[in-house]
Amino acid sequence: MTEVERHNYDVVVIGAGGAGLRAVIEARQRGLSVAVVCKSLFGKAHTVMAEGGCAASMGNANSHDNWQVHFRDTMRGGKFLNNWRMAELHAKEAPDRVWELETYGALFDRTADGRISQRNFGGHTYPRLAHVGDRTGLELIRTMQQKIVSLQQEDFTSYGDYEAKLKVFAECTVTELVKEDGRIAGAFGYWRESGRFVLFETPAVVLATGGIGKSFKVTSNSWEYTGDGHALALRAGAGLINMEFVQFHPTGMVWPPSVKGILVTEGVRGDGGVLKNAEGERFMFRYIPDVFKGQYADSEEEADRWYTDQEGNRRTPDLLPRDEVARAINTEVKEGRGSQHGGMFLDIASRLPTEEIRKRLPSMYHQFRELADVDITAEPMEVGPTCHYVMGGIEVDPDTAASAVPGLFAAGECSGGMHGSNRLGGNSLSDLLVFGRRAGLGAAEYVESLDARPSVSDADVTAAAKHALAPFGGPDDGGSEENPYTLHTELQQTMNELVGIIRKADEIEKAIDKLAEIRARIGRVTVEGNRQYNPGWHLAVDLRNMLLVSECVARAALRRTESRGGHTRDDFPQLDAQWRNRLLVCAATGDQPVPAVDVEVKEQLPMRGDLLELFELSELEKYYTEDELAGHPERTA
Amino acid sequence: MTAVAEPTNDTSQIPAPEGSVTITVKILRFNPEIDNEPHWESYDVPALPTDRVLNLLMNIKSYADGTLSFRRSCAHGICGSDAMQINGINRLACKVLVKDLLAKEGKQTTVTVAPIKGLPTMKDLYVDMEPFFEAFRAVKPYLIAYGNEPTGERYQSAADRERFDDTTKCILCACCTSSCPVYWADGSYFGPAAIVNAHRFIFDSRDEAAEERLDILNDTEGVWRCRTTFNCTDACPRGIQVTKAIQEVKRALLFKRT
Repeated sequence: MTEVERHNYDVVVIGAGGAGLRAVIEARQRGLSVAVVCKSLFGKAHTVMAEGGCAASMGNANSHDNWQVHFRDTMRGGKFLNNWRMAELHAKEAPDRVWELETYGALFDRTADGRISQRNFGGHTYPRLAHVGDRTGLELIRTMQQKIVSLQQEDFTSYGDYEAKLKVFAECTVTELVKEDGRIAGAFGYWRESGRFVLFETPAVVLATGGIGKSFKVTSNSWEYTGDGHALALRAGAGLINMEFVQFHPTGMVWPPSVKGILVTEGVRGDGGVLKNAEGERFMFRYIPDVFKGQYADSEEEADRWYTDQEGNRRTPDLLPRDEVARAINTEVKEGRGSQHGGMFLDIASRLPTEEIRKRLPSMYHQFRELADVDITAEPMEVGPTCHYVMGGIEVDPDTAASAVPGLFAAGECSGGMHGSNRLGGNSLSDLLVFGRRAGLGAAEYVESLDARPSVSDADVTAAAKHALAPFGGPDDGGSEENPYTLHTELQQTMNELVGIIRKADEIEKAIDKLAEIRARIGRVTVEGNRQYNPGWHLAVDLRNMLLVSECVARAALRRTESRGGHTRDDFPQLDAQWRNRLLVCAATGDQPVPAVDVEVKEQLPMRGDLLELFELSELEKYYTEDELAGHPERTA
Repeated sequence: MTAVAEPTNDTSQIPAPEGSVTITVKILRFNPEIDNEPHWESYDVPALPTDRVLNLLMNIKSYADGTLSFRRSCAHGICGSDAMQINGINRLACKVLVKDLLAKEGKQTTVTVAPIKGLPTMKDLYVDMEPFFEAFRAVKPYLIAYGNEPTGERYQSAADRERFDDTTKCILCACCTSSCPVYWADGSYFGPAAIVNAHRFIFDSRDEAAEERLDILNDTEGVWRCRTTFNCTDACPRGIQVTKAIQEVKRALLFKRT
C-alpha cells in the first residue's frame, strides 16, 4: 500500500488567497474543523499582488452610490453575460464584507472625516474602490492571515492546541480529488518539501486556487496560477463555464524584457493618469464602443473636469472596462503608433504633483524606478496588455458556491459566472470576500446535513500516487525524454500567440493542433532527482493542469463566433445578441491523465424582472435579441 | 567561506539574448539527502543588464539543473518569497538587477547567492521559515478591541492612520530578521519582523491591547535584545524604518509603564 500521511477534517480549502481564507474563517466560525492547503508559504498567495482596491458601494466618496448602480456597472462590464444572481449578491454584500474586514483590523486609506476612502476605477460609475495606497491585496491577505492567527490562539485557550480546529498546510500541492459514490470523499497531494504524500479525508472541498495565467507567455500572474482548481474540478466531474473569456489587463510593463507583463495598477488611471500614443494623442476618445456611447466623455476638457466634478461631466474613456482599453492599445501598436518597446504611454507625471504620485502610488513609483529605471513622476510609463485574469471557471450555484459534484465548492477566480465576459477592476477582491464567505457557509451546511461520512478507498489512493509519480518514470517505450520547462515554454507561446487578445478560427485551430502535440509529448516528460523539493517534478505535475485548461480556453474560443468582453474574434468582430445568453460548458471525458475536453452550449436563466427593470430598455436593446425583449414591461405596456 | 575550486556546470542550453554578457553565479547548494554540508557550485550564465537575479536562477533551474530549489512567487517584490543573500547582503532576488552587480569593465562578474542566515537550510536556498512565523504569531499580530462588535466601519483620522503606516508595509520576507546579528546568535530573540508587526498594532488607534503586546516584548527575548545595528533597516526591501520602529516600542515601554 502507498505510504501516506492521513488527516481528517470537516472542510478542506484548497488555496490560501482571499477566497480561500474567507471560506476558512467562515467554516471555522461555524464550529467545523478546517484545513487550508496552499502551494506557497502562508500569506504569499497571488491575492497580495492586487493593487487598486476592493469595489463596494459604501457611498463614502459619493453618496449616490448603491448596490443597484454597482450591479448595473458589473453587468455592463461583463456585457450582460454575467450570472445575474452572482452579480446581485456581490453588489449587495460587498459593503458588509469590507466593513467586516475593517473590524478584523484592515488598514484603509481614509476620507477627511475618517471613513474608508474610495477611488475611481474602470467601468465603475462612482469612486468605489476601498484601498490602501496601491497595496490593497497585500493588506487583505495580511488581515485574514492575522484573523486566522487570532482564531488559532482562541482554540489554544479552549482546547490547548493551536491547530485543534484550523490548520494551515503550506507548501503542499493537491493533485487529486477523491470521491465515493459520486460525492467528495477526500483530497490527495504531496508536501513540496519532502515529496511525501498526504491524504485529507473530508466530505467537503472548497476550491479557491485562482487562475490560469501561467498558460500564457506575457502575464501578470505568479507561478501558482496553473489552473489547478479548474483541472481538479473538471477531472472530478464538474463543468467549467466561460473559459473563452480571458482578461488581458491593458497596462502591464513592456520593458525591460525580464519584467514584461508585470502589472501597472489601473489606479494610475483612476487617479488621473492618461494613455497616449507615440504621437502624444490621447487616443482612447476614438475607441468608445457603441454600447458605451453617451456614458463617457468625448473631449479631453470634459474628461479632465470629471475628476473634480462628476455630476456635471462624464468620465474619461481611459477608464473604459479593461477589455476595451486593451484592444485599443493593441490596435494603436499594430497601426504603428506604439512606443519604442511596443507599448503605449501612460502619463501620470504631467497630471499630478510629484509628492501626490509618490503618496498615492508608492509601489508603482518603486517598481518603475527599480526595475525599469523610469521615474514615473517625471516621465511616462510604457505599458501594454498582459494576461491577467480568467473570467471562466467552475460552474457553481450562486448562493452556496456548490458545484455539480456533491461536496465540491468553488470561490474566487477559479469559479465562473460572476464576471460574465469581462471583469471590472476592483470586483475581484470583493468577489473573493463575498463568495469566499458563501463557499465556507455552503460547505459547512453541506457537511452538517450529512448522515454519514464518505470514505476513501485504498485503490483510489494508490491510483492517485501513481498519477503523481508518473513524471519520474520517463517514456514507456524508452523513446526520447521531454524537459517540462521546454514544453511549458511552448505551451505559453502557443496560447499567447494563437489564443491571445485577438483570435481567428485558423489560428485557434493551429493552437488546438499544437496542444494535441504537447499532449502526446507530455507523457515523455522525465524529471531528474528525487521527490524532495524537486521543482522539475512540481512543474511536470502543474503542466498537465495547464494543458487541460488551455484546451478548454482554445476549444471554447473556437466555438464562440462573436466578440464579447475578453474574447475577441477578428473573423467575428461584432457582439452578437444571439450569443448573449449562451454559456459554453467544458466537461472532461475519458480517464487519461489529461482527459479530453468536450464543449456544450447551455442557456442561462433569464434575469429576474426586478433586476431587469434597473436598466433602461434602450440600453438592453444594445445587448438583447428582439425575442428576449418582447415581454419587457415597456414593450407590452 | 574559503574558496575551493568548485565544479562548473553545463549551462550551454540557456538562451543568450542579444546584448547579454556571461557572468558567474555561485550558489551555495545543499541537498540533505546527499550532502553533509553546503557547498558552492558555479554556473556561467548569459545575463542582460536589465535581468534580475531571479531570472538567472530561473534559467539555471530550467536549463542547467532542474533540482535547484528556491522560493519565488509574485516576482516583483510584494509577496516576499525570494529573500536570499546576494553578494552577502539580504535581498529579494526579484528586485536585484544585474546591472547593479556588474564588475568594472573588462573584469569577470561573479555573483554569490546563498540562503538567508539564522534559519535552518532545508535544501539549496530554501530555509525553514517556521521559527520566523512562530515569532510573528507570538506578538498577537491581530487587532484586539473590546466592547461590542461594531456594526460598520470604525472611523480613523488620517493622522491616526499615518502613525503606523510604515510598519503595515511589511511583507514577512524575513530579510530583516535574518540580517540581525542578535538573531543569528540566539534564535529565541523575537527578531525585528515580529516587533514590526507588533508595532503595527501597538500604534493603531483602533487597537486596545498595546499593553499586552508591550508585556510580551518586555520579555528577556524582546526588544531589549536589539543592539541598534540598523542591519534590519538596511535589509528591508520595503524601505521600512525597522530600527526606528523598534526604538518606538522601547520608548513606549519606558514612558508608558513607569
